[in-house]
Amino acid sequence: MTTVTRAIPAEKAREEDSITRFDIHQRIQHLFLLLSFVVLVFTGMPMKFAENGVSKWWIGVLGGVEPTRLIHRGAAWVMIVTCVYHVAYLVYNIVVQKKSLTAMVPSKRDFILFIQEIGYFTGLRKEKPRFGRYNWREKFDYWAMFWGIPVMVLSGLVMMFPVFVTNFLPGWVVPVALIAHSDEAMLALTWIVIVHVFFNHFGPGVFPMNPSIFTGKLSRERYMIDHAAEYEKLKG
Amino acid sequence: MVTRWLGDKKWLFVPAGIFLLIGLFFVLNSSPAYALDESNCLQCHGNAGLTKTDNVGQKVSLYVSEKSINTAAHRYVDCTSCHSAKPHDAAAIPSKESLAQQCGSCHQYEAKLHSQSIHGVQLALGNNEAATCIDCHSADGNPHTIIRTLEYTAPTYKKNIAATCANCHAQEDLMASYGIVEKVYESYMRSFHGKAMELGTYKATELDKATCTNCHGVHDIKAVTDPGSPVAGLDNLSRTCEGCHPGAGVEFAKGFLGHKEASPQNVPAAHYTEIIFSTLLITVVAFGVIIMLLAARKFIANRWKERA
Repeated sequence: MTTVTRAIPAEKAREEDSITRFDIHQRIQHLFLLLSFVVLVFTGMPMKFAENGVSKWWIGVLGGVEPTRLIHRGAAWVMIVTCVYHVAYLVYNIVVQKKSLTAMVPSKRDFILFIQEIGYFTGLRKEKPRFGRYNWREKFDYWAMFWGIPVMVLSGLVMMFPVFVTNFLPGWVVPVALIAHSDEAMLALTWIVIVHVFFNHFGPGVFPMNPSIFTGKLSRERYMIDHAAEYEKLKG
Repeated sequence: MVTRWLGDKKWLFVPAGIFLLIGLFFVLNSSPAYALDESNCLQCHGNAGLTKTDNVGQKVSLYVSEKSINTAAHRYVDCTSCHSAKPHDAAAIPSKESLAQQCGSCHQYEAKLHSQSIHGVQLALGNNEAATCIDCHSADGNPHTIIRTLEYTAPTYKKNIAATCANCHAQEDLMASYGIVEKVYESYMRSFHGKAMELGTYKATELDKATCTNCHGVHDIKAVTDPGSPVAGLDNLSRTCEGCHPGAGVEFAKGFLGHKEASPQNVPAAHYTEIIFSTLLITVVAFGVIIMLLAARKFIANRWKERA
């Protein structure tokens, strides 16, 4: 095993030489999550940083604060529907199709792989860790949404219907919702920009991007590098 | 195009041209509106250098800018309506209080409300710091530059009201001397209302957002400790909220941080949420940055080795 990881670019994968990694539902879910996320960021951040000159200019371009809020709420509903779609997809596959979807389930092995990757990055370990179908970063991104999206959706709904909500919840939920929504948004944005974008756009051999989440396919060569343990299992 | 359409009637250009020239003459020759000045006061008072020396030996400017008075709200009210028919006999320079009374001789309703407001009460006690008509209605505290509230440059145009109040209410020392420790302007600008106003346009139809006067009152502003204030106590406050948020109750009003930061005493839930979420944010982001930097270093080192 060589330490050189910059092997064959993902986009060069030939049809017969690639492995299907994501089904059509997963690709649609990611696409709509991505689109709604981008729209939410570009309409939410200028409202968070309202005093900034760029925010004022951009909201002017969008036609004022009302259209901005309308777009923000529209994108939020797209994200909510996407999440419902994903949960329905999980339930259908597990309950009806009786599939065991365990690839995304975190385990002790992920922690070991995480330590191994840190070792590899810092030069304490020669070999790249041999990841399964999903590496620890992918699992982190995935499971973080089970925290982040409920926080964003619930706090967003509180701010969307403050009068209705305070009919049966204490008044402090409104300022709390604003704080949670605002900070959790920053968390999601910075994590996506720093970690997700770095590894999936600037990682070795993937620049300008790893298109597998859109095409569903990943080249055999990249699969061997990025998901070595899973690749071996696939070969049987 | 036009020549083809006119065909052989090209001579029509001549009357059309003359018509256009006459029209242009009228449009370009039109003069701006002039303020009413029946006694020709501006002949002398329009000079920027006109001053007099008062009885304590101080120079006082007697200048009235013609440019600003031509666009002032009272441009068609003659000088002598406010200044007496014999203005040169005036004993003293108008005081803040006498100015307010002068305005009140026409604007009786507003003057009455103001006299009962915290500003008016303080003014009657001889406190010259309290706001009177010109402090809010004129950009430079000059009665001659008062413009109508619906002019978007007016200090009392809805979008500008918060900044106008901030002229005094954002002065920390001044406010502290009245026991007002809350940073009212800053906290307003951070609130839903302030942000909506800040990001909104100047269009009158899009100014349906709350500013200072929507909750505190306009000419009749009371101290928040006065039981008559629309924001005094949760009952009054929730009724004020209801003016814009139909169905808002006391619980809704309790969500207001009172122009203060959240703290263990003031909406503790918000205070602890702030701590939890900012800790989470800093920890996770720091973790992400470390991972990214370690990976970047390794990837660059690999690339370097490959090239060598």
